[in-house]
Amino acid sequence: MGIQISNETYKERVKKGLEDRFMRNAVAEAQERLKTNRVLSEEGLGNWEEWRTLGEEIRSHTIEHLDYYLEQLSDQVVKRGGNVFFAQTAKEATDYINNIVKQKNGQKVVKAKSMVTEEIGLNAVLQQEGVEVVETDLGEWILQLDEDPPSHIVAPALHKDRERIREVFSEQRAYNGTSQPEDLTLFAREQLRKDFLSADIGITGCNFAVAESGTVTLVTNEGNARLATSLPDTHIAVMGMERIVPTWEELDVLVSLLTRAAVGQKLTSYITSLTGPRLEGEIDGPSEFHLVIVDNGRSKILGSEFQSALHCIRCAACINVCPVYRHIGGHAYGSIYPGPIGAVITPLLDGYEKHEELPYASSLCAACTEACPVKIPLHELLIKHRQVITEENPSLSEKMMMNGFAEWASHPAAYKLSTKMARPLLAPWIKSEKIKNGPGPLKAWTTTRDFPAPNKQSFRSWFQKRQKGEDK
Amino acid sequence: MKVSLFITCVCDMVYPTVGKHTVDILERVGCEVDFPTAQTCCGQPAFNSGYLDQSKKAMKQMMRAFEHSNYVVGPSGSCVGMLREYPKIFAGDEVWEKRAIDLANKSFELTEFLVDILGVVDVGSTFTGKVTYHPSCHMTRILGVKHAPIKLLQHIKGIDLVELPMKEDCCGFGGTFAIKNAAISTEMATEKSQHVSETEAHYLVGGDMACLMNIGGRMNREGKKVEIIHIAEILNWN
Amino acid sequence: MIQNREEFLNRIANQLNRPRQKNQVIKPVWKNQPQWEVMNHFTKDELVDVLEEQCKVIHTTFKKTSKENLPTILHETIIEYGGGPIISSKDERNVRFGLDRLYKKLTSDGVEVREWCEDKRNENVRYSERANIGITFSDLTLAESGTVTLFNDKANSRTISLLPVNYIAIIPKETLVPRMSHATRLIHEKNKNGELLPSCISFITGPSNSADIELNLVVGVHGPVQASYIIIE
Repeated sequence: MGIQISNETYKERVKKGLEDRFMRNAVAEAQERLKTNRVLSEEGLGNWEEWRTLGEEIRSHTIEHLDYYLEQLSDQVVKRGGNVFFAQTAKEATDYINNIVKQKNGQKVVKAKSMVTEEIGLNAVLQQEGVEVVETDLGEWILQLDEDPPSHIVAPALHKDRERIREVFSEQRAYNGTSQPEDLTLFAREQLRKDFLSADIGITGCNFAVAESGTVTLVTNEGNARLATSLPDTHIAVMGMERIVPTWEELDVLVSLLTRAAVGQKLTSYITSLTGPRLEGEIDGPSEFHLVIVDNGRSKILGSEFQSALHCIRCAACINVCPVYRHIGGHAYGSIYPGPIGAVITPLLDGYEKHEELPYASSLCAACTEACPVKIPLHELLIKHRQVITEENPSLSEKMMMNGFAEWASHPAAYKLSTKMARPLLAPWIKSEKIKNGPGPLKAWTTTRDFPAPNKQSFRSWFQKRQKGEDK
Repeated sequence: MKVSLFITCVCDMVYPTVGKHTVDILERVGCEVDFPTAQTCCGQPAFNSGYLDQSKKAMKQMMRAFEHSNYVVGPSGSCVGMLREYPKIFAGDEVWEKRAIDLANKSFELTEFLVDILGVVDVGSTFTGKVTYHPSCHMTRILGVKHAPIKLLQHIKGIDLVELPMKEDCCGFGGTFAIKNAAISTEMATEKSQHVSETEAHYLVGGDMACLMNIGGRMNREGKKVEIIHIAEILNWN
Repeated sequence: MIQNREEFLNRIANQLNRPRQKNQVIKPVWKNQPQWEVMNHFTKDELVDVLEEQCKVIHTTFKKTSKENLPTILHETIIEYGGGPIISSKDERNVRFGLDRLYKKLTSDGVEVREWCEDKRNENVRYSERANIGITFSDLTLAESGTVTLFNDKANSRTISLLPVNYIAIIPKETLVPRMSHATRLIHEKNKNGELLPSCISFITGPSNSADIELNLVVGVHGPVQASYIIIE
């Protein structure tokens, strides 16, 4: 599938989102709950700002020295009997994984939730080769059965309700139970247990790799990542190249930030740290371990004014506070990465041409920046995107308007004149001090909202008269 | 204390009374207010739309306009927030960085100035009525001004102040966002309007006229009778 | 084997506008270290209280017992979970805490009990899969989050705490530390001193759960459905 999840235009996607009442209710409720949990868990620490600062400090240092830490990581993985493949492109990554699966004569792959494997479109590649690929995270499994892309990076099936999930299970898996989440979940457990026991290969993402020891750490609640890395004989972990920490001490900090920011938990049920394949005498765990480190456009971000976007730890805190996301939902972004962080990284990874509207899908309210546990200035990065777009591919009418703005705002005389002229110019549209059906760009506003008429007297002219003693 | 008023272009042209109330309040607490007429717009419309060069022209004009001011005080969290961003925008600029820092350091939003600089929480206002307060995004998150407006409102005699549900949420204004993404912006304004209705307040107070214009414009269209008031006006009520 | 590394890392260095960093990068001393302020003066007893409170949050049954009484309490817990089959890690602490005698007694009562046995791969996994209860000791216990840390190896296998429906962790009080920072520091030190890290370190916090359906929390997904912690004073 890749990063782009839709061929519809931005406008169509937004319209669809706005019209989906169920989705909007579900998202609003989820945001409320996730946000409350997050805030409570942050307050519980008493010094959240210090934690954020530490998180930012660690992320900046690590990304600034990424080549060093990746080298250390790969050396350590090999020392422990694992293999490391550096993939510049999505294709290089999927080719390599595909080859491993073939070499192992793999028939069935169990996958634990991973955004980077969505990003490189891994499932489609393997399925084309006749390999059965089973997503084992409950949310991802639901989406896989329904052939639907994720709409949230932590809770991928957020947009579906229990009734729809029951339908999907019954259509695809002959389920005949109720729509109670407990029953649906139990059914998934029973179904997927068989897959875990019969899979040849487990594929996971990687929340954080620890450079000093060559360790891959997975953060989950369901236990599927543990199963996928305990039962199959081969484990392939796929990581975005920036998902790395120097040592175990930084792992602690970032995991603590991640679980709190994502779901308000002190730690999730399972934090699983894997170093190489199983050791001599061990029975479970894979006999073969591969780490695939993916660039896929990330290196272009390094050294640019967007570098801090690579600090992201994929917690979705920004998504959970974003009012735009609340109203349009994840699919409207047209990317597997939705919300503010999606609007920042999607154009960087997948090009402006396909995603030019995303940087504008924000009121710049900065709720995202405030929520980010590693202090990425998300709303500022959105403005930077807009700067790139206006420099490279401006809309001519808008540019003319902005040139006009610059002249107006840099010449007090012109500005002063406009304070006198605005009202007469708009006079045809003013009715009882309101504009209800404005011209030009005002139309978009006045279709749904009244706009006030410019005042008969500007402040500056009042102040001038007041100083002359003419007015009080 | 000498204070230069930064009126903001929205208040200058559309809501001049906000400026009058601001002058009144500042004078009442002992400030001497002047109005540098070379001021125009803070540059935010162009800056937030990605037109950096164009926005810088406006910003330079503002730096020139307030060159000789001791304090610059404005009735808008968002516009003052923009002034505070100047140093970042002009970082490395040999001529302008220093001036940007100078302006940012002496600029304050009205309530912030009253409470944090002057130490005033009671400006002697009386207002009877049920009021709710919308803390605008840039006021709270760019400027970090969260408590000053509340403290001032709480000291108004006779006020019935009720909390706005999900108050920290954006109203959907966002400058050109309201035009470019009008449909989304409208949904956000509608949600805000619903929250205002839930409080059963008759007055919606805020520190940013542009946000109030958006919420008020939506509520008007919905036929709601809630009145929007800038915090300067309610602080100057007698 | 490592493939494509040089080209990949050179590109990174290039983008960062500097030569490759081949020499030791000195990690700075972080300016803020709030993690060490959490419960830093707590006594072991206070940490036990924190753990007990946290167990309520993570849907985990908390029990406290003396060393002498451990077999009795464990037996009770086994009965509450409906008895065997039981799989336990192979651990010298089983003998030290008298659990070997309990397991023998259970076996003679007709309850299926096994200690993990390293030379029967498939049989052991299959057995764990149908086991009702998995039992392990905690190697390090994090009070703040209610987490048991397992250094998984050939005797304390990964699946014991994973495949059975119920999981019981036995927690010697001396394994209690305030939070994850203490565990990761210890692992960091081990690694620095050249000790071989376990192939799998599991930080386990209660039973498995999911909130993927309408954000409703359901306890018990792919891992255990119920969990109990028994702390030995």
